[in-house]
Amino acid sequence: MIRKFYLIVIFTLSVSFAFAQDAILKGKVTDGGSQEPLPGAYVHFDGSNKGVATDAFGNFELSKLSPGEYKIKIKYVGFEEFEKEISVIAGQVLVLNLELSERRQNLKNVNVYGKLNESNESSSRQSEKNANNITNILSARAMERSPDLNAATAITRVSAVTLQRNSGSDEAYAIIRGLEPRYNNTLINGVKVTSPDPVSRFVSLNIVPSDLLDRIEVSKTLTPEMEGDAIGGTVNLVFKDAPDHEYLKADASLGYSAIFFNRKYDNFNQGAVQRQSPIDRFGPGYSAPAGYFSRSNLDFTKKNAPPTVLASFTYGRRFLNNKLGFIISDSYQNQYYGTNSQFNVAIPNTQPGGNFKPVLSDIANRTYSTQQLNNGLSAHLDYKFDDKNKISLDNIFLYTYIAQARLSIDTSIIGGNGGRVGAGTGTVYNDNRSYIQNQYVENLKLSGKHVIAGHFQFDWAGIYSDATANSPDRADLTLNHLINPDLTSTPNYFDAISRIWSRNGNKDLSATGSLSYTTSLGGNSSLQLKGGGLYRHSTRFNAQNQYSLKPAPEANGVKSSFTDIYSADWIVYNVTGSLQSDASNYTAYEDISAGYGEFKLTLNKLDVIGGVRVEGTKQGYNTNPVVLTITSNAQKTYTDVLPSLQLKYRLTDLSNLRASYFKSIARPALFELVPTPTYGEATDVTGNPYVKHSEADNYDLRYELFPKNEEQFFIGGFYKTIKNPIEFALISTLNGQLETTPQNFGTAKVGGAEIVYSRYFGNIGFSGNYTYTYSNINSPKVVPEAGAVNGKPVIKNQSRPMQGQTGNVANLSLLYKNDAHKVFVQLAYTYTSKTLSLVYNDYGYDYYTQPQSFLSFSAEKQISRHFTVTAKVNNILNTPTIVKINNLVQSKDIYNVSFNLGLRYSL
Amino acid sequence: MKTKYIFFILTGILWITGVSSCKKAELTTFAKVKIPTSSPIAAGNISGFVKGTLLTGQTYTVTADITVKKGDTLSAQPGAIVVVKNNAQFNIQGVLNLLGSQDSPVFFNSDANTPGTWGGFQADSAEAIIIKWTHVDNTGGPDASGSARRTLVVNKVGVPVDIEDSWFTNGQDDLMGLFGAKVTILRNTISSSGSTDGEGINLKSGATGVVAYNVIFSQAGSGVKLETSTTVPFPQTEVDVYNNTIVSVGWRRGSAEPGRGTSVGVNAIGHIYNNIYVNCYHGIELFNDADNVHTTHGNNLFYASVDNFTDLRDPTIQINLRNNFYPAGASGTPQPTDLISTKVGNLDPLFVKFDGTVAAPNGYPNTNDFHLQSGSPAFGAGNPGFDSKHPEYGNQDMGAYTTDGKGNKH
Repeated sequence: MIRKFYLIVIFTLSVSFAFAQDAILKGKVTDGGSQEPLPGAYVHFDGSNKGVATDAFGNFELSKLSPGEYKIKIKYVGFEEFEKEISVIAGQVLVLNLELSERRQNLKNVNVYGKLNESNESSSRQSEKNANNITNILSARAMERSPDLNAATAITRVSAVTLQRNSGSDEAYAIIRGLEPRYNNTLINGVKVTSPDPVSRFVSLNIVPSDLLDRIEVSKTLTPEMEGDAIGGTVNLVFKDAPDHEYLKADASLGYSAIFFNRKYDNFNQGAVQRQSPIDRFGPGYSAPAGYFSRSNLDFTKKNAPPTVLASFTYGRRFLNNKLGFIISDSYQNQYYGTNSQFNVAIPNTQPGGNFKPVLSDIANRTYSTQQLNNGLSAHLDYKFDDKNKISLDNIFLYTYIAQARLSIDTSIIGGNGGRVGAGTGTVYNDNRSYIQNQYVENLKLSGKHVIAGHFQFDWAGIYSDATANSPDRADLTLNHLINPDLTSTPNYFDAISRIWSRNGNKDLSATGSLSYTTSLGGNSSLQLKGGGLYRHSTRFNAQNQYSLKPAPEANGVKSSFTDIYSADWIVYNVTGSLQSDASNYTAYEDISAGYGEFKLTLNKLDVIGGVRVEGTKQGYNTNPVVLTITSNAQKTYTDVLPSLQLKYRLTDLSNLRASYFKSIARPALFELVPTPTYGEATDVTGNPYVKHSEADNYDLRYELFPKNEEQFFIGGFYKTIKNPIEFALISTLNGQLETTPQNFGTAKVGGAEIVYSRYFGNIGFSGNYTYTYSNINSPKVVPEAGAVNGKPVIKNQSRPMQGQTGNVANLSLLYKNDAHKVFVQLAYTYTSKTLSLVYNDYGYDYYTQPQSFLSFSAEKQISRHFTVTAKVNNILNTPTIVKINNLVQSKDIYNVSFNLGLRYSL
Repeated sequence: MKTKYIFFILTGILWITGVSSCKKAELTTFAKVKIPTSSPIAAGNISGFVKGTLLTGQTYTVTADITVKKGDTLSAQPGAIVVVKNNAQFNIQGVLNLLGSQDSPVFFNSDANTPGTWGGFQADSAEAIIIKWTHVDNTGGPDASGSARRTLVVNKVGVPVDIEDSWFTNGQDDLMGLFGAKVTILRNTISSSGSTDGEGINLKSGATGVVAYNVIFSQAGSGVKLETSTTVPFPQTEVDVYNNTIVSVGWRRGSAEPGRGTSVGVNAIGHIYNNIYVNCYHGIELFNDADNVHTTHGNNLFYASVDNFTDLRDPTIQINLRNNFYPAGASGTPQPTDLISTKVGNLDPLFVKFDGTVAAPNGYPNTNDFHLQSGSPAFGAGNPGFDSKHPEYGNQDMGAYTTDGKGNKH
């Protein structure tokens, strides 16, 4: 059935005369249903290149019109195309208020392919409604109006998505439905991206500027055509596509972090960081003299933090009769931010009466000062041969430069060489580190869509993805002094310096293809059959070269005291570096071959999508340790059969009921298999070749209601059993770092419910979502207070939530707009309840990240036709990230408020 | 009182000597059958995976790392000489069995013969370690990541480690790091080890056993250190530390991290008796996190040959040695049975030869003789049956050299 639609055109004509001979056409484009203004609608004349997009309040203006007859056309996603003939006379100012009607096209899927379905033809809500699976979508429009600098902050406004952040950095990974990043997939334009991060499979969302994004799609259930390694869901960052009209937008802003109101920025000489290690420059076997190593990158000076500068532009248009289109976008961010962090190491209390409860052994105060420069360049080119054939070339290049100073002051409370005997006493360790890193992520995708003989569609893509991170000369200086019980202090002693040159990289080559056949079964019924496959070859390497500089002792052999870095006297202890046999060096690979068969049957109001995907995995690594062991080299192979069945029943035109079952997996990251340590900011990870991949059975139910444009109500529930979730547990707390290893602790059960609602009341819009998740797993723990039986600790199973799983997640946002004053204001609030972040050794205790509430504010006011002033304030509540073991504070990170003020130009 | 006691003993010895010289012992003689050595290792260059026996009188040159696999044994006969080149190390996953003799010890040294020029015995997962009458010199060169290596490291609960009558000099980090091992460390001499850090005998993570009659001279960090693991409270480390002579240790690490003659921390248990501590930075330190309920100590002698140590670079730093016999803030307190010097000359243990060293560089020559002159206050002041699970432990005298002949034979 093809529903007749109505094109309601109400326009008022008001005529006035200007002095100029040229006519002016201006007016406003609104949604005929909700009376909402429609920003970004392209108003143009048929048969000419002249056209303009509406501004954020739906206004447009076309000037310098010669008198004559014109046909106005308006294209807007999710709305019917509008056409109207008008005539203008010399000097006239014609004001037109145009209303578009929403396209009712939820039966699109019934159509046999006549021509290609463009991905941007429907709005976010329409996509959610028509999607084969359970999806939430955040549109560019929603992102443009919100206080989000990058994809990381934008994504938290999608239902059931929260972020995992690391201490001292801005890195952020998506948590879907309270499941940590390892159970989720991050895709760019539907393909996996290689990661420059040594310890994850994912690209941090904060390096993707939100300006580049057309939309963010979060899929919570998988169809057989989707890659099977997502248990929580898949985040797809869809970059902007070539627009139908000339598009130009540029903005620039300045920002500042309030943390630098209270302290200075710790600076070091970035120019003194030597890009090449001694053996890189002079070849293997070169003996590095003490003078090779620079000093001023360990001279930390205080300065006022420079302001953060953000700028971006996007430009796109189509040529050759609209056959060839391109869009290019560049986003530049030079940010200065800081973290004040307390990082405490907890150990069992062995003192009398301590009963082995966790107690702090060390207290470290760390201040991080970070400069992070991101540049994201994205280019898209597409060529439409005709209505049935299209090829696209996408290239995304992300560059990140990080320069970070970390000043740490660590006091031993107990353990080590004695700890302290009272407040303010004990051995105090100063650990000052300077660090720079260059990251490059290159992602090239060539893809095509072809409709063959009406019923068949063939899609293909080839992807090259390469990520490298290069950290030259990470310099770490440790000093110590002792504060005696009488509070007198010894001078600072020069303990050690380490210099590390490290590089890691990850390269993927993938090819995918699919063929589908669609046929009508008469009436409202249709059948689509689809088959396809994927092959991916991934490689990863890590190379580290470390030099140890030891203080030259005094004549009597005693360690020398330290005055400043320029007068420090050292000897190079391992003159040829550690590259030859560094325990951190490895190469690893992963080959994935997958094939699937999928059907989609539409029977009146019921859609049934189902099928099976088979994924074969081969993973392995090679290390060159000093002492060969059987774990020096390993390969794992496994094959997963992943069935999926999704039911969608259209209760009415505006509501759906969905149910689904699918099986999915999560693979250990390559480094998680390699039994060598990977060093982190505060936590080191040693891989475990015995860790198994996780397998999950997932059940979902959701009711969706779409009362009108931009209004929605979803309610749903889910249940998962996850066999062998990969969780991290502590193996040691040496050197003020937590040393952890990935492990499997059995099978976890995860259940939850979510609710999403958004609505606009006149000038005020409201959107909110809430997710509740419960998970449970039993894992063995040591019971130290029970002592030792036969020399072995007593073990007891503890029931606890799964690692990285958050119980309650709520996102609320309030939007106010005033068309008369051309003002937008938005307030966004996010709440996450406590989350198990690390498994503790002993019964009754675990590390929990404490509940957090974040509030952010953004506002913009259009000051002229092309210019808008923008203001954003993030982290208004100055929410700390606190990790506790019961009531013991293990770490506390403070980032403080950040402010941003800018100007935007749009054509 | 004391001289009377010594006189009594001397009389006894003379009497026994006299009686035994009169008696003719029974004599059994075998025909001269030469039993061949199992798996003899040919002299010359060795490297890679090695097992078998290093032969008497042969010289071996180690050109690259040597690994003794699980189930394999590397033995040495008396008089075997091993020279290590290229900063190589021994990885012991099986058994190390070095059996020198008093007359003909085994030698391990680097070709450079300077401190920190080879890697020692990395025996984390060894099955057993036996080292007797062996010289191990100049160990501790940098490992793959550039850190100093321990001379002997074992890291496995319950592994037997038996080290007797051997000499260790000029290591760079811990001389012995024995974690979880079952140790018997008797009558060894450890000299001038640890560059600016490292303990002489570092026993952690559930180590048990005995450390007795050893001489530890000029170690960078502590002489003997006992700790349990910080993350795994059981099994506890519990060691009897008695009749050691510990001299001039704990200085090279700097005053921010003083070294101790003997320290007990992190839930460990020590039984510390009959030791002599001279010129140590700290004497006995029982940290507040040790298992001080079960730790016992007494009958130890503390002496300083000077009042103060003065820092070379900053002469305002003056360390009073006698104040640190039992350092402030820790749980250890003087015992009535201790002999605690109150000034230079008071309760001097009367070493046969002592150069008065306080702080000295790594690799400093040990030309001292820590035997005791007659009239030493250490004679007869020991506890012959201290609080130990082994009633046979203990001695009537203090220090490594005792009059009953059970002590150090160097």
